[in-house]
Amino acid sequence: MTVIKLNHITKIEGHASLNLSIKNGKVEVCELQAVEGSRYFEGLLKGRRYFEASEISSRICGICSCAHTVTAIQAIENALGVDVSEQTGLLRELVTIGERIRSHATHIYFLALPDYLGYESALSMAEKYKNELSRALKIIKMGNGIVKVVGGRDLHPVSLTVGGFLKVPSEEELKEIRKELELIKEGTILTGKLFGRLEYPEFVNKTEYFSLVKREEYATLNGDMVSGSKRYKQEEYSKYLKEYHEKYSTANFVVKEGRSYMVGALARVNNSYKSLSSDARKILKSFKIEFPNYNPFVNNFAQAVEIVHFVDRALDICDLLKVKEEPVKKVRLREGHGISAVEVPRGTLWHEYKLDSKGRITYANIITPTTQNLRNLQDDIRAYLPSVMKLSKEKMILEIEKLIRSYDPCFSCSTHFLKVNFV
Amino acid sequence: MGSILARMGLCLGMMRLRMTEDKLKVGFYNITGCAGCLLSVLFNEDDLLHVAKIIDIKAFPFIKEKKNDGELDVVFMEGLVASNDDVKVLKEVRKKTKVLVALGACACTGCIPAFRNFIQKENYERKVFLRKLELRDQKPVPIDKHVKVEYYIPGCPPDKNEILTFIKDIVLGKKPRGYDKPVCFECRLNKNTCFLDKKELCLGPITNGNCNSVCINGGLVCWGCRGATPDANFETMISLLKEKGIKAKDIKDRMKTFVGLKLPKEVIR
Repeated sequence: MTVIKLNHITKIEGHASLNLSIKNGKVEVCELQAVEGSRYFEGLLKGRRYFEASEISSRICGICSCAHTVTAIQAIENALGVDVSEQTGLLRELVTIGERIRSHATHIYFLALPDYLGYESALSMAEKYKNELSRALKIIKMGNGIVKVVGGRDLHPVSLTVGGFLKVPSEEELKEIRKELELIKEGTILTGKLFGRLEYPEFVNKTEYFSLVKREEYATLNGDMVSGSKRYKQEEYSKYLKEYHEKYSTANFVVKEGRSYMVGALARVNNSYKSLSSDARKILKSFKIEFPNYNPFVNNFAQAVEIVHFVDRALDICDLLKVKEEPVKKVRLREGHGISAVEVPRGTLWHEYKLDSKGRITYANIITPTTQNLRNLQDDIRAYLPSVMKLSKEKMILEIEKLIRSYDPCFSCSTHFLKVNFV
Repeated sequence: MGSILARMGLCLGMMRLRMTEDKLKVGFYNITGCAGCLLSVLFNEDDLLHVAKIIDIKAFPFIKEKKNDGELDVVFMEGLVASNDDVKVLKEVRKKTKVLVALGACACTGCIPAFRNFIQKENYERKVFLRKLELRDQKPVPIDKHVKVEYYIPGCPPDKNEILTFIKDIVLGKKPRGYDKPVCFECRLNKNTCFLDKKELCLGPITNGNCNSVCINGGLVCWGCRGATPDANFETMISLLKEKGIKAKDIKDRMKTFVGLKLPKEVIR
């Protein structure tokens, strides 16, 4: 009987441990435990004003703070019937893109890549892989720069609000962003190639790939939820997504119609690769990696491809925007109920709010991408183990960690929740 | 926060760490939090590789494998205590470092998760069934409620430059400089229109600056995430805001959001 406990897995966001026991080649126990302390955000939001939802929920996560900010705001706007201007929509998309770029670049270069090159950290790669590391930092800086200019600060942005923007970037700032995007393009193509060339373990475990989809667009801020040929309306999410709890983890698990599924870059590319920019599609096709793809390790490559795509999309937005001062849309307080799903770095993020007539939050529910992935990740670990069981303990552990890291899990996000009824 | 300057005085001797040619052995850890503070370290994109050369980063589990890190000179700790696991990690780390720096609002003042101390249990729990899980929870508090802390780098998130300056100072053997001017000082220099003049709930006057009034620059009122200035006059702040038509409950809730546990009890009653 082999018992393996990986305590406080490194190179992931947040805190998680893995409990494994293998007897006679059979996986008896496979428990992915979030050990992050519970922060009870949905409870903290109760009683707060509608415009505080974004400030507070932003603190669920640093690296995806724009994600929570934007999704909270959209959900509140849906509850209050607020329509925003086209400029606001484009600026929100731009800030979301900036975050996508910085998050993906941080993950693939700092958290995932060291495993594939045999290093303990990206910093220890600094000598031999100086170019790659500088490139990574430039791409991260680019993403952070966009968030800073559009959102007012690179982490926990300040300028976004219900109804619009408290402050908009200037024409000069956007011109500067556009210039920087042009300069970084080559680096993103090289990134795509680097991650296309990596030797991913051959592991296929087809599941359902769930993401927002919009016709002719690589969906980000809105759309219908799609898995394969099935389409779902966002407003009805409680009908098909169910959260449940396991005693061994502080994070919830989620199933869709009773089954596990995957969200994130791989799911998005699987569903929408035809809507990627032409440069991104070129990278996608340049390697012997078929799409749709059912190898979770390929999520790393999918993230690299998304970086290429989103630099192109950001350039388009910069061209479309003729930014002008605009007042925030007035809000008429009323009782309301709003839901919003947004594609963020690790997958689809859901925010739901109920408001009373005075604009106070009476109910909040947040389902993060990682929470949705945990069940599938756990299933994948179980399925992957047989092919690595015969390796040395050290090598087996590395393979499992690689698998966990390929999901780019954010355990801070997944462990924010409200204690649930358990029947 | 007023005790920071006193603690810094006591710690002058500790900053003689830089006596030898050896690099400082540094660790970056986090307990319960959003990882934003550790990211603020990493997102000094232009300086990160240089920083990694001038200090010996012995531990940084977010981006590095764990090894026997041994004794450390300085540890930056992000996060607040919210679980038994957090207490365990915090105490282990405290034992092995000469200097502990509370990095960011969670570690310094508890930040948003600590607001839970001020709300009814019914708001965030439905039927509590998971006995085992419940026992893992700790009262959400900043780290100095459990261990001694030598320095504080406040803010949610902390300022990237402030972190860099701090690292530079300790490498050079300098005593990190304190800051005790309110946000308004920088805000005026940045030529912002005062939110208080617009009758908005801004906590600038009682909040410790050095953040370059980043929120007000971006159009948002100050929520006080960096903690109070040493001479903050909470009563006057509250009556000033009430005069502008803001309700006492809204004022106190806002003041408690990031730093509630470090406010005087009379203020938050």
